[in-house]
Amino acid sequence: MTLWDLTQGTSATVSAFAASIEAGYRTRLSELGFHPGESISCVMAPSLGAPKLYRVNNTVYSLDDSIASMIEVA
Amino acid sequence: MSTPSTPPSQPASLPRSNVALIGSPNSGKSLLFNRLTGLNQKVANFPGITVDISAGKSLIDNSTEYLDFPGVYSLHTISGEEKLAVEAFYKAMDADHLDAVICVVDATRLEKGLIFALQVVEACRRYNKPLLIAANMTDVLEQHKMQLDTQGLADALKVPVLPISGKTGFGLENIPSAIASAKAPTEAYGIAGDIIASDDSLIHRQAQQLANKYGPKGDLLINAQTKLDSFFLHSWFGGLSFFVIMYLLFQSIFTWAAPVMDGVETIIQVTADFVLARVPEGMASDFIADALFGGIGAFLVFVPQIFVLTLVVGMLEDSGYLARAAVICHKPLRVFGLTGKSFIPMLSSVACAIPGIYAARTVDSPRKRWLTYLAIPLMPCSARLPVYTLLIAAFIPAQKALGGLIGWQGLAMFGIYVFGIVCALLVTAVVSRSNAELRSDLPFVLEMPPYRLPSWRPLLRNAWNRSKHFVTKAGKIIFIVTVVIWFLGYFPNQGASLGDSWLGTMGQWIEPVFAPFGLDWKYGVAILTSFLAREVFVGTLGTLFGIEGAEENFVSLSQQIQDSGLPIGSGVALLVFFAIALQCVSTLAVLAKETGSWRLPTQLFISYSIFAYVAAFLTFHLVEFLV
Repeated sequence: MTLWDLTQGTSATVSAFAASIEAGYRTRLSELGFHPGESISCVMAPSLGAPKLYRVNNTVYSLDDSIASMIEVA
Repeated sequence: MSTPSTPPSQPASLPRSNVALIGSPNSGKSLLFNRLTGLNQKVANFPGITVDISAGKSLIDNSTEYLDFPGVYSLHTISGEEKLAVEAFYKAMDADHLDAVICVVDATRLEKGLIFALQVVEACRRYNKPLLIAANMTDVLEQHKMQLDTQGLADALKVPVLPISGKTGFGLENIPSAIASAKAPTEAYGIAGDIIASDDSLIHRQAQQLANKYGPKGDLLINAQTKLDSFFLHSWFGGLSFFVIMYLLFQSIFTWAAPVMDGVETIIQVTADFVLARVPEGMASDFIADALFGGIGAFLVFVPQIFVLTLVVGMLEDSGYLARAAVICHKPLRVFGLTGKSFIPMLSSVACAIPGIYAARTVDSPRKRWLTYLAIPLMPCSARLPVYTLLIAAFIPAQKALGGLIGWQGLAMFGIYVFGIVCALLVTAVVSRSNAELRSDLPFVLEMPPYRLPSWRPLLRNAWNRSKHFVTKAGKIIFIVTVVIWFLGYFPNQGASLGDSWLGTMGQWIEPVFAPFGLDWKYGVAILTSFLAREVFVGTLGTLFGIEGAEENFVSLSQQIQDSGLPIGSGVALLVFFAIALQCVSTLAVLAKETGSWRLPTQLFISYSIFAYVAAFLTFHLVEFLV
């Protein structure tokens, strides 16, 4: 399951990054809080495939399917 | 919380002269910088809006100069823009240009700020630079009765932590003394060794521990933000509110500015009458009437619209809504090869292409940024507004339909705005599809800033500066052009016959170029001069009709165009021409500066000129065929 599969109001823990994700971006995502072991909740999942809103601690980020589907969650 | 919390046993030190402000995007750093220096740097509630290093003398202590570095999430960088900012920061530290560093963190989102602050603590330790951590937005904490233990945090980090609010000005008076007594960190926090190069999960864990221990507790702020998001990003209400907000934005430009525009027009008219009554008839009075009031007065009328537009766009940025608009627009813009992040530069370009080009730096993917550059010159900027208003007033009847609900002139204005936007999107769609490389993208990750009530003072100041800039920068060009045009049009026969003047003779040479859309030489000259800046068109035409008709004010210009018997097809063709052509020297120069070469601006200038000409030609024939 990936972060993109989370529905509004659900949470999951990051387990890994897809191998195809660029190293620089993996570091950045980690710095933003998306790193293995961190609990992420999907606070908004607008319809029509718009980017979803994910909460990490006290900050909310918007991620589109291209990146959210590269973050594996459990 | 009014005094700085310094770690114990820190003796006082020398005053600092060059102080860097550094922080992650959206930490309120630019607003703080504006407060400290009184400078008018653009402040916006959108991640990454500060894109240049600004410097300003302190208002409190004028021996200090603050340097505002662009917001970065980390001292490890991935995007080109961040890399430049971090390199500039290290370079300034290395070259001993900095005497101290202030790291600004958003106290309401302490963990995120601390991830960056821990890296800055380490960088300052390495370069032996005194560091002060400014915990910003304490007004929000106070408002929600939340606490930040600045003393505890300062003790843990061994760096002074000062609670401040860039918005209310709370604690700012303590900054000079806090910097003066700050020392370079001597110990790395938490771990021995290099925290910047270390595993990012470690720094994250440390920031989390510190934030949990000393930071504000509870979800109040984030819950309020989520509640508003669930409205503004709702499948139905979100789309609806987006359209309502955009509608209000355009409405504000035309309705709110109208009374002020009328006021400016009246002032120009009264002044013209007053001055002309006191100047004896002859060359001097012709010059004052045609070149000064006819040419320059014509464009001054539009300054209120530029003011209102800049104010409203700034308000939307400041409120945090634009980041939501970027989310809403991401999917639709992707169809046209762009990204949601292109929305901000494109919307800014509705005010002026120049801030739009600068704002495009926030588009982290270089390919998408390049595509955004293609779209920007086609966005309906405020310099086109005088031309549109003039032509619409001349050609579209001021009647209303559907019981007064729809005004034809308003509809025409809306139509020409939409036309510009559609052209921009079509160009990016075609170009992105013609090149496979342009289709790939950096992923879309955008921080959602908290919703905030806009700070009026910086917004008003910014709108005022933009209008002033418009008057002084464009005004200079318009003044020179109108004087030259007047001179060429007035001589050698003292205004007796415009057609026989030097300008008339020159105009006949270029007449064949614009004849295919039914325009005579006067329009040809006005179009040629408008390649300097679009609004020059109105000034030039005002001067030309002024010489010809001995009219002294702008009000009659649209009437004069009407009376000149110009066909409606030519009017619509002119609208289309102005919607597409890249007639702005400043836009070309800024594009060249931003892209590092004249290649893109030259390509755009040539291709948009040809596109504009062909589209105007087709429009003229289509309208003439239909009418």
